[in-house]
Amino acid sequence: MVSHAQSHRLESGGLIDRSAPLNFRFDGKTFAGFQGDTLASALIANGVKLVGRSFKYHRPRGILTSGSEEPNALVELRTGARREPNTKATTTELYDGLEAASQNRWPSLRHDLMAVNQLFSPIFVAGFYYKTFMWPAKFWEAIYEPAIRRAAGLGRAAGVADPDHYDKAWAYCDVLIAGSGPAGLGAALAAGRSGARVILCEEDFALGGRLLADGGTIDGMPAAEWISGTLAELATLPDVGIMSRTTLFGVYDGGTYGAIERVNDHLPSPPEHQVRQRLWRIVAKRCVVAAGAIERPIVFAGNDTPGVMMASAVRTYVARYAATPTRRIALFTNNEDGWRTVETALGAGLQIAAVVDARPDVSAAHRALAGKTGFPVLNGSVSGVDGGKDGVRKILVALAGGARAEVEADGLAVSGGWNPAVGLTSYHRGRPKWQDDISAFVPDGAPPGMVAAGAANGAFGLGACLRQGFAAGAAAAQSAGHNGNTGTPPVADDEAFLLTPLWHVAGKGKAFVDYQHDVTASDIELAQREGFESVEHLKRYTTLGMATDQGKTSNVAGLAIMAAVSGKSIPETGTTIYRPPYLPVAIGAFAGHHRDENFHATRLTPSHHWAAEQGAVFVDTGLWKRAQWYPRAGEKDWLESVTREVKAVRSGVGFCDVSTLGKIDVHGPDAGAFLDRVYINTFSNLAVGKARYGLMLREDGMVYDDGTTSRLAEDHYFLTTTTAKAGPVMQHLEFCRQVLFPELDVQLTSVSDQWAQFSVAGPSARALLKQLVEESEDLSNEGFPFMGARQVALRGGIRARLFRISFSGEMAFEISVPARFGNALVRNLMLAGKQFGATPYGTEALGVMRIEKGHVAGPELNGTTTAADLGLAKMMSTKKDFIGRVMAGREALAAADRQVVVGIKPTDKTRRLRSGAHVIPKGEIPGSANDQGYVTSVCFSPTLDQWIGLALVERGRERIGEIVHAHDPLRGESYDVELCNPVFYDPDGGRQRG
Amino acid sequence: MRIVCPFCGERELGEFTYLGDAKPARPAAGASEDDVFDYVYLRDNIAGAMSEHWYHAGGCRAWLKVTRNTLTHEISSVEPAAGVGAAKVGA
Amino acid sequence: MAEFSWLSRSPLEHALVVGAHGARDVASGISLTEVRNFNLIQIMARRGKGAELASAATARFGVAAPAVPKAVSASDVTLIWSGPDQFLVLSKSGKHAMDILSHAFSQSASLSDQSHARALISVAGAKARTMLAKLSSIDLHPTAFPIGAAAATSIDHTSVNFWRGNDRPDGQPVFNVLVLASFAESLWRTMLDAAAEYGVDIGLSEELG
Repeated sequence: MVSHAQSHRLESGGLIDRSAPLNFRFDGKTFAGFQGDTLASALIANGVKLVGRSFKYHRPRGILTSGSEEPNALVELRTGARREPNTKATTTELYDGLEAASQNRWPSLRHDLMAVNQLFSPIFVAGFYYKTFMWPAKFWEAIYEPAIRRAAGLGRAAGVADPDHYDKAWAYCDVLIAGSGPAGLGAALAAGRSGARVILCEEDFALGGRLLADGGTIDGMPAAEWISGTLAELATLPDVGIMSRTTLFGVYDGGTYGAIERVNDHLPSPPEHQVRQRLWRIVAKRCVVAAGAIERPIVFAGNDTPGVMMASAVRTYVARYAATPTRRIALFTNNEDGWRTVETALGAGLQIAAVVDARPDVSAAHRALAGKTGFPVLNGSVSGVDGGKDGVRKILVALAGGARAEVEADGLAVSGGWNPAVGLTSYHRGRPKWQDDISAFVPDGAPPGMVAAGAANGAFGLGACLRQGFAAGAAAAQSAGHNGNTGTPPVADDEAFLLTPLWHVAGKGKAFVDYQHDVTASDIELAQREGFESVEHLKRYTTLGMATDQGKTSNVAGLAIMAAVSGKSIPETGTTIYRPPYLPVAIGAFAGHHRDENFHATRLTPSHHWAAEQGAVFVDTGLWKRAQWYPRAGEKDWLESVTREVKAVRSGVGFCDVSTLGKIDVHGPDAGAFLDRVYINTFSNLAVGKARYGLMLREDGMVYDDGTTSRLAEDHYFLTTTTAKAGPVMQHLEFCRQVLFPELDVQLTSVSDQWAQFSVAGPSARALLKQLVEESEDLSNEGFPFMGARQVALRGGIRARLFRISFSGEMAFEISVPARFGNALVRNLMLAGKQFGATPYGTEALGVMRIEKGHVAGPELNGTTTAADLGLAKMMSTKKDFIGRVMAGREALAAADRQVVVGIKPTDKTRRLRSGAHVIPKGEIPGSANDQGYVTSVCFSPTLDQWIGLALVERGRERIGEIVHAHDPLRGESYDVELCNPVFYDPDGGRQRG
Repeated sequence: MRIVCPFCGERELGEFTYLGDAKPARPAAGASEDDVFDYVYLRDNIAGAMSEHWYHAGGCRAWLKVTRNTLTHEISSVEPAAGVGAAKVGA
Repeated sequence: MAEFSWLSRSPLEHALVVGAHGARDVASGISLTEVRNFNLIQIMARRGKGAELASAATARFGVAAPAVPKAVSASDVTLIWSGPDQFLVLSKSGKHAMDILSHAFSQSASLSDQSHARALISVAGAKARTMLAKLSSIDLHPTAFPIGAAAATSIDHTSVNFWRGNDRPDGQPVFNVLVLASFAESLWRTMLDAAAEYGVDIGLSEELG
């Protein structure tokens, strides 16, 4: 592996570690760089100018910026499952072995056949998709979209699961600071010294912001020295945290901020046990936005030619990375700041081809420098670039007097001024205001607790940045309650900025506003001509600012051009709404730990690991894992297992873990009165030692939940809910207790997890349990009748609660023991039940038996059914008020033609039923007009040896015996079923009472 | 958003469950169908300060009356419901 | 007739493996310890009986029950605030078990036994706060959450009672988590994942911290 020489690397200087050389590959070629490089700086050091092709026209593109605003230098980083598209080379830290590939070209970056798109550019104008692909509609999915996606578009996703881990964390502070430039560090110093808890987020891996490239003198020392002194002082303050590689991307209500920390993006893969990225939710009393400003391009023909670069980026590459993007450079500026580039370039030994300054009044000092060094200063504008994929060859200049000039150069630095980063301050629908002296939008207010300082606030001088940052930090700390001595503020001079606005230079050829989405100046002019003048329309019609860079380099220029062609001022034209995130944030980071088996928290029953030992198949029921059935060797499918389990219960005895039911202790002198108000039936008259089935309605009269509730003492009821509604019912009951009926003396406690509860069902249930309880316990029908509920002593020394309730229709009990004995209980049930062939059964068999018995469950308690619909009208007490009573009496809820629960069985006994089928009168053509209901629950009944079901059918109970049609267009099935009594099994209930 | 629970202190939104308008009072037993209909269904659509029921589900399980500006999400007061804890309401 | 044994089994029995976990190249920054075999009783004041309960509690435990989110300890018991006019009684060896307490508080409170409804996990060590910041949305800075501070809060969408115990002899903080038994294994695995990068020392204890 031979790496190419770093042809464009300076002999010395820069903040790179020359003792740590790194190899990397770009489009299959090996290059060398150093620790401290970004991928962009290393490519520049190797003389690479062409790094990508544009989105729509496949134009050759080079590196434009040195930061996270980069629209061009987007690569696919890494390979295989870790391949990440649209990664900015300008913020990608170089590591040894890095692999990157350019995007959006075929077959290769240098010979991109898709560049023919440029020939058709007259049709790729603004609104192209809207105008061209209007009809026929089906062509869109089949032809247009795939074709466009191949021709245009960005990088390729990996297509397989991300192998890395992400997590999320919370942090708290008094003062949160975005940015570590002079304003941010100044704010951190003041806030930290005053004793506040401070968090400073910096998206770069190095701290210092523009100081890293532009230097300067602070407190009489070079900027680098001041930075290290400041960081050393901050490190001594116990509550100042500095998070580099961390971007503050959003602000939310209540002083909550979102930040993304790229913990290990700078390594080939995260070290074992570590995450790639971490999403932070930071709660801050105050926030100082010192996020700086973004230098803006000037729009002119050929401004996207590789080698045309932002002036500040040129300085960053030369000064910070000792990498020279060009050997003979021209500068195009409309402000003083751009001129810094000349000093930096000369300092690095580069040739200055010319300075094109749009302002007529260039200072004497600059002219003297030009004279001494021997480069021309041209008053005018760059109107075109002669160059291509190999870079810039010549700059075409329109001189102020109307004459033309040409400048030979291999690079062009451009400075159109600076736009303060107004994202964070505007995320709560704030609209920035226009500031004339810098011709830029600056924050106009901010979300509560937030303030902007330094360049982010439109203050571009170094002295002003330090002053504003320090003052903002001190004020923020003070308003968060910290009044410690802030010491002396850092001091520096302010440089002149002196900008004359210039947005767009007329010329021949494409002049790009939005590089990433290939939006040109003429697209904006076209949008205006076609009436899309409002900025929100302009954005959507041209897609200006809608790429992954969100228009960081393009939005303001686009607005300015629109303002010019529509004859308005820029502030009149206004900005679009700013929305977080500031940068693209990986979905993986938002998901954090919650993926795959950790997608959500999981609840396990007390018998879970025993069931797993038995080979149970588990089903997710809400958060629970429940045993669905227990397959045995030789059983060919679930149906065979479930059928065996049902038969075992019906003929002998089986048991099932029902610990997932919600269980609530209802205590207090008014417990009975309270239950009378939440259930439709009466509980205050329930005898101690008895259980009763109860039904709750919502206040609108629909059924909410059901379950059995037992009275264990005069002032203590034990209420159960369905598994699904355990949480909601607890919340509802607390609402009733705390809000609706505060006058009642009642207390509620969830005891769902305290009790392991098992249903023991079947003709031998009593015999089994007699093995388990102490001899003195009378389980006979007289001693423990149906719906009895009491404590019993178990052999071996523990006490249990026993309830004689049945969901299966068999003689059945539910037994509950403190949860840590649940595992022992299930083993003891097996032991005690051995002689009776006791069989564990899962939720499927449970479901089969409840359908055979006609008990309603989730599919019937679906929020649209009343007690009467479920056949439970007579449970509704008329002697008391209860939740839902009045609304349940509404005419339509009591109407005779409502869909009510009824049994169904197929006329062809061999047919399988499916839930969801619609019920249609026999002989009629299915349609919504004659839809009379639908099938809610079905099962194969081993007892009846055929499929049976429950359905909600119009006037169903009056139509027992009628043959109707089950219509299932989803599965393409249609068949006849007979409406029947929903209680298929033991309709007079003799078995469960026996 | 963050809510200052009167019992637990300031907590993040995820610990709370929203119910809705706290103004309507449940009509007493024997109320007319119209009154109950109003209580169950009719709500003001307030742009501004609104009294709302929130439940501190992920915390102390108190029902709270929160006054929140629906335009800005600013919360101006948080009070416990009448029957929280051992409160002697209506005694 | 068969003999029945009633072995108590912790909800973490299956998942907990005593020993080292996670990164080995760092000094273990986290101790995760499950505490087994405790009595835990929820006590809620009856209506208008807040003051009566408070004096009954002081009489019974020798310390005042916390009226704000705090955990207070006496020689044989820790009282943990769990909501308005309610607290949890955490103890060992049955001295403050359900039968005894329900008698003591029968006039003023409603009691529910939660001894089997929770698992008790203690998180300690130099990285305890860093690791818990991944799980808890509460500010655990020493000034915001001092020794004895308690919270009824949620971790991983799961309700927990959370309080800071006394520092370890080495000065490192200790945080205690009472988690619902059915969620315990899931939360335990989440805790292991969150702690792995700091090096974990997994332990088992019968002693209340």
